[in-house]
Amino acid sequence: MTRLRRDPRTERAAARTSGAERPRYDLALKAAPSRRPRRDPRAEAAAQRVPAAARLRLDRSQFGAATVVATHVPERQTDKASPKPIIVENPDFLVLVVPDMAGGRLGEHDRQLFGAARELAGKTGATLALVGASSADLGPAGADRVAVVARDPDAYDPDARAAEVVAAMRALDPKHVLFPESADGGDLARRVSVLTGEPLFTEAEQVSASALGRPARCRKVEQRSVPTRLISVAADSVASYSGAPREARNEQVDLASGPAKTAGAIVSATRIPADPATVPLALADFVVSAGNGVTDLDMFRQVVAALGATPGASRVLCDAGLMPRAAQVGASGTVLGASCYFALGIAGAPQHLQGVADCEHIVAVNTDLHAAMIARAGLGIIQDAQLVMPAILEELERERRETGT
Amino acid sequence: MRIAVLLSAGRHPVSGKPTLPRTEAQAIRMAAGLGAATGLHVGPDAFPAEAALGHGLDYAAHIACAAGSDPVGPLAARIVSDAPDIVLAGRRGQGGDETGLVPYAVAARLGVPIVPDAVAMRPATDGLVEIDQALPKGVLRRLVVRTPVVVTVHPAAPPPLPFAFGKARRGSIERIAAAPTDLAAGAPPPEERPYRKRPKMMRAAGGSAADRLKAVTGEATAGGAKVLDHQTPEDAAKEVLAFLRRVGVLAPASAAGPGRRPAASEDASRHATS
Ligand SMILES: Cc1cc2nc3c(=O)[nH]c(=O)nc-3n(C[C@H](O)[C@H](O)[C@H](O)COP(=O)(O)OP(=O)(O)OC[C@H]3O[C@@H](n4cnc5c(N)ncnc54)[C@H](O)[C@@H]3O)c2cc1C
Ligand SMILES: Nc1ncnc2c1ncn2[C@@H]1O[C@H](COP(=O)(O)O)[C@@H](O)[C@H]1O
Repeated sequence: MTRLRRDPRTERAAARTSGAERPRYDLALKAAPSRRPRRDPRAEAAAQRVPAAARLRLDRSQFGAATVVATHVPERQTDKASPKPIIVENPDFLVLVVPDMAGGRLGEHDRQLFGAARELAGKTGATLALVGASSADLGPAGADRVAVVARDPDAYDPDARAAEVVAAMRALDPKHVLFPESADGGDLARRVSVLTGEPLFTEAEQVSASALGRPARCRKVEQRSVPTRLISVAADSVASYSGAPREARNEQVDLASGPAKTAGAIVSATRIPADPATVPLALADFVVSAGNGVTDLDMFRQVVAALGATPGASRVLCDAGLMPRAAQVGASGTVLGASCYFALGIAGAPQHLQGVADCEHIVAVNTDLHAAMIARAGLGIIQDAQLVMPAILEELERERRETGT
Repeated sequence: MRIAVLLSAGRHPVSGKPTLPRTEAQAIRMAAGLGAATGLHVGPDAFPAEAALGHGLDYAAHIACAAGSDPVGPLAARIVSDAPDIVLAGRRGQGGDETGLVPYAVAARLGVPIVPDAVAMRPATDGLVEIDQALPKGVLRRLVVRTPVVVTVHPAAPPPLPFAFGKARRGSIERIAAAPTDLAAGAPPPEERPYRKRPKMMRAAGGSAADRLKAVTGEATAGGAKVLDHQTPEDAAKEVLAFLRRVGVLAPASAAGPGRRPAASEDASRHATS
């Protein structure tokens, strides 16, 4: 049963009669009910009850599931079911965003960049993403407009990219231009700054419509300024956009008015992938890790070498001296930036999982179906790691034999 | 090959004492492997030039000018008259504004290309130099570039040579007075206040402690798990390899995988007939 919560103060205020010198109240009058929902502890407990348990068990993570909501609080489920994109038809000004989009996908830093751009654009401005290839993620990330520039994704020609941005600036006259302060993004921002002769606000850590902030003098002082035209945004300091998706309308931009192309000084450019055997654990892209469930470490090292991965370990193995301390993954070891993590015989303690929080793909082999590592993994295999490791070596060997002949 | 190393007046991050920034000391080491290197500093104090001698240079030029004036003009003028093949600079200054814009401005003034974040350099055939550029995740980009070129040095380059007092005494410094430049050339200095450390951004600010733990261990983003029970180790191994290939961290079985097998047999038959 839902009863509305009474608010004695509003009731008294509503009952007060005007005109009198002293405060006088007409207690027969009824006050409007308070808008705060009243909790119903019994219904909450019933909702938290775990059904199949013999004894009474409550799942406390269901907190507030059955909190009784006053009937007049508007339900927002309708607009959650079909999120309508927000459309800015005639923006007062544009904020040009130049994300890195390494591999054609929006990275975390790129999303934060759009968060900063939305902050600067506010309600009346629009963000315009200047990208090499369109992506479905741009709208939800906060792009109102998308301009696609045809370019070879593998070629390295930073001068041409800078010329592109300058041409877009001439064609669109944006109020702000935002770059990520990453290896390639920071380089591009500085090139655009010297090409246009406009000052660049580098490594902005605070971005709002009224002010920018950046650290200087070895983080002893913070420099502040009103938002300049060219801004590069530091990683992990601005929240990414979290509102309703944006329209991401395609827009044609005429890039003919850019600065004249100079003869490229770069004769050739080749990417050299990192050597998994020597790359530091924090930089590795693919880590294979052993835990207390792995007893044959020679076999483990063979598997790591055969898969072309970087070796890691849980703290138990490092404490026991079976693996070097530098290989420890976790809160007191190394926090990985890898895209794929392969855990052999690791239980998945919270301290260990903290180290793999950023890993996108996780494979776990464990004998325990209920291990936390299996719950975290994209592919969990319930099997003895001591048997799976030789099977992997065998399978790779078989493939090599088959293709070798 | 002739090299100029740009030296800036750095400050130690903790003590605040004058130091040569680490990347510039690394640049000196990198230059030593390439050819004859000279140092170049623009500023009121000769300290960076003296420190650079101790880190391995034989000769450095100190162009004296007032504190706070723009170093780009005098630097570019000196580089034009020296005409080195490679100009090395640090990635960012240390203890100043730390914008990293000076090398870009110098390159633009000279009209030569700039290559950022070098970790290694080797001379190639005439007029070319091979530069290894550091990218995120330990990846390198190997560029072959026409000289003259401005190159900035990444902190992952080989560590600097230790400071040697005798070497610092033996080297020579040329002192030059710069033509006076107008002080307030650029934008007005920004407003400054003491730095306040802000909390690190969290992935998702959950309500309860359990939510925050999930956010920090990545469980909040995990989902769509596939759990395989009661499988033979061989099938499990196949599943793992297939998953790793789908994710793209493991190279496909081989260029001549099952799909190319007919080609291999065709090869064999040709050998048999010839
Ligand atoms: C302050 C603090 C900081 C810590 N920091 C870290 C850290 O940075 N990194 C870290 O890793 N730990 C850290 N720990 C330790 C952490 O809490 C766990 O103790 C540790 O991660 C457990 O390692 P494990 O999973 O390898 O071992 P166990 O917990 O012993 O788990 C072994 C797992 O292997 C499975 N298994 C057993 N035999 C087999 C088999 N034959 N085949 C397959 N699976 C098998 C078991 O089912 C079990 O799940 C920290 C602890 C504290 C208190
Ligand atoms: N006054 C200066 N004299 C010589 N080189 C400088 C000077 N200021 C900056 N540089 C170079 O430019 C790099 C980047 O500096 P900054 O742009 O101040 O972050 C430094 O690492 C130096 O190599």
